[in-house]
Amino acid sequence: MAKKHNNNPDEIDLTPFAFTAAGDPKTPGVPGCGGCHPGGGGLEFDRDGQRYDQRLKADPALAQSLDGDYYQSKWDKTGVVEADCFICHLPGYNFKERNIQLQSLNFKWATVAASGIGLVSGLVKAGQLPKVLYNKRLFNEDGKVVLDLAYPPPAENCVFCHGMSDMKKRGFSWNDRINPDIHNLQGLNCAHCHPAIEDKKLKITKEMHNFAKGQEFVSTVADDLDNTIKTCKECHEQGYMGATRPRHLSIRPNHLDKMACEVCHIPALHRAAFEGFDVTTGQMVNYPKLGAKKIGAEFTWGPAFQRDEHGKLWPVNRFNSVFFTNQDKDGINYPLFARELKKGYDKAKAQLKPKNPMKPEVHTPAQIKIMLATFAETLKGNQRFRQIKPYYHKGGKMYFLNGQREVVSAPDATWAGHIEGFNINHNVAPVSLALGANGCGDCHADKAHMFKGQIVTDMFGPAGKPVTVSAGRLFGCQPWAFTLNQIHQLYLTPYVSGLILLLVFVLVLHYTGQGPKVADFYAAPGEIQRFSLAERWTHLFRLTTFLILTFTGYIFFYNNVSMLRMFFSSQNSAVIIHWLAGLIFVAASIVSLCLWYKDAKFVAYDQEWLKKRGGYIGGQEVEVPAGRLNAGQKIFFWLTLVLSLIMGVTGILLIFKNSLPLTLNCFLSTVHGFVAIIFVAAVIAHAYLGTIANPGTWSAMVDGKVSRLWAKKHHSEWYKEYIAGKDQEESDSGSE
Amino acid sequence: MKKNLGLVLAALATGLALFLPAALQAKTRTCVPFYLKTEDGKTINPLSGENADQPYSPRQTCGACHDYGKITQGYHFQQGWNRIKDDFNKKKPWVLSDGMMGKF
Repeated sequence: MAKKHNNNPDEIDLTPFAFTAAGDPKTPGVPGCGGCHPGGGGLEFDRDGQRYDQRLKADPALAQSLDGDYYQSKWDKTGVVEADCFICHLPGYNFKERNIQLQSLNFKWATVAASGIGLVSGLVKAGQLPKVLYNKRLFNEDGKVVLDLAYPPPAENCVFCHGMSDMKKRGFSWNDRINPDIHNLQGLNCAHCHPAIEDKKLKITKEMHNFAKGQEFVSTVADDLDNTIKTCKECHEQGYMGATRPRHLSIRPNHLDKMACEVCHIPALHRAAFEGFDVTTGQMVNYPKLGAKKIGAEFTWGPAFQRDEHGKLWPVNRFNSVFFTNQDKDGINYPLFARELKKGYDKAKAQLKPKNPMKPEVHTPAQIKIMLATFAETLKGNQRFRQIKPYYHKGGKMYFLNGQREVVSAPDATWAGHIEGFNINHNVAPVSLALGANGCGDCHADKAHMFKGQIVTDMFGPAGKPVTVSAGRLFGCQPWAFTLNQIHQLYLTPYVSGLILLLVFVLVLHYTGQGPKVADFYAAPGEIQRFSLAERWTHLFRLTTFLILTFTGYIFFYNNVSMLRMFFSSQNSAVIIHWLAGLIFVAASIVSLCLWYKDAKFVAYDQEWLKKRGGYIGGQEVEVPAGRLNAGQKIFFWLTLVLSLIMGVTGILLIFKNSLPLTLNCFLSTVHGFVAIIFVAAVIAHAYLGTIANPGTWSAMVDGKVSRLWAKKHHSEWYKEYIAGKDQEESDSGSE
Repeated sequence: MKKNLGLVLAALATGLALFLPAALQAKTRTCVPFYLKTEDGKTINPLSGENADQPYSPRQTCGACHDYGKITQGYHFQQGWNRIKDDFNKKKPWVLSDGMMGKF
């Protein structure tokens, strides 16, 4: 938009007059700037608050001045565009006619023709004074007009502007069976979610026609009104207008914290938005989604994802802009005006020789050099710059000519390199189509769009073809971390249950083949203290918390909603119990280290125990030497401590997963899951050996005592030490 | 019986006399029928020919019942115009407002 105060015609871009009349007469169905501005505001009053038509009539010289509001304008003849109430409130309003009238400079007549109340003949653009012929059938005999106005406005009227522009920006459409919206299907209209708001803090009354709005990464208009709309959560928790109340039992709580509802509930759009635009020619040339025939064509595509300032993920249409700037002496890169671009491109065209003159798609160093050198020439003498140094911005890079007039490229550090996406928040899918409705694989499977979808980051890369990056990488998940995460989905989840069952089967084979180490332990009294109360309690704590961790972990591992609903009120409560059990387990593991590390030191006779495989294999019972803990128990002890350490570290970090980078989370959760499986397998084997494979062993963990016979058979060296200690005690007491 | 028939017919005639003129007059769901006004506030009456070749003014026509001034303070009408100024953004001097009228 042109500034109010200008020193030179070169400084003047789009004036409010040109803004009002903008648009391509060849496509009157496509509104220009004025077509979508309902009138009033800047189409009625200048920046001093005076009506354009009255002021210009009083001071016609203004049209020849450098006043940005009047420069080369004809407000005195066209009239102003007052706020056209019918644009929203009259069903059947003819928007195409409005565009035609505005482009014909019939500003104040536009509402008559577009509303259909009358016909307008004559064009201000052709130097004529338009006349009106009203449709008498719309008037009562007293001369009053009768219009069937709608309150609130029908969606069709909103979509005149929002349909076209938001289709381009984010693939939005309404009342569209190809690209449906569940709220639309339920009978909701624009005004249901975007009512006129009343806000004392913002000093807004309903009468002021400010409508509730959501948020937008690409700031467009009225950012102060952001998030005045009811959120998904507000409607669906309160049952507003009969909204359903979701339980989201199968969804991880952190997913609900870290992702906007739209991420899962708008898994795809079915009309092509734009991939970006190119203004090289001086005209805005929009490119449809890669693979789509044109913008608005039937085409299914998945959004990109972008984080907000709180790290929450939102679906967006990331757009790629291709344009030129000039870096002035103040170091600021100023975008070139359309006329400046056109002048440069028209001159460079002969050298560029593009296949399609409307789509030059400048991408090779030679092409870029031609354009930059041409702009350096055509911008000479342009009074709005004190220095001519053209830049080309494309695909996150900036290109410019160095002292030797060679093209230099660098990551775009200017404002132009900051790329935002247009938020996607309409065309919500039915629940059965939402991501997660078919399980975690909707996002975490091998080729799921969430991580592996390809997002265009440069429309014309070095080879002239689009450059893409995986969707996951754009929101911070490194490819290696996603691949690691795939191990969980592709290998662990489907095969773990089978592997555990296989282990149990092997143990059954062992039991039936080798048999338990049997002796008449139960007949002998438990007279030797094997474990103290502290040791038994520590073991009990580890055992109990391990069982809780395994149970809750199993529910998380398989996302088993049935068991979750059976035992827990919510996924959050299961998570908290998992955390608590995990912390107690880690604490008990540390205590067990203090209690048993001396007994778990390896000694010479452990080699013999290992050589004879503890007497567990071979079908015959053999004598194996063992201390208070046998070599197998020592291995198990150290193994579980290492596993506990890994589980503890990864688990405690995962408690704070919302504050950690996604890549680290993927790594931690995969390691946590994988180690958990090894842990469970080890504990199953340990449980087998501690119970039915060695009758009498379990009671040592209950009352702490074992019989002499048991001790001699299973822990011969420890038994010898015990006897020697006893003898020593007796001799000591005898000498006393 | 005859007496009752007479009463029914009398009630019908009264009803018709009361409501027929209104029924013949077209009505709308929201705004009642209204006069169109020119931008200087004169009535347009296409049936009598009064100012019948002039475009109507929404400010004068709708503003007769509704607060046009307040309504047009809304962001759809202002689109940044109420905040526009030449030095709105020093880092991006070409940005004059945070709305469609003034943004890049």
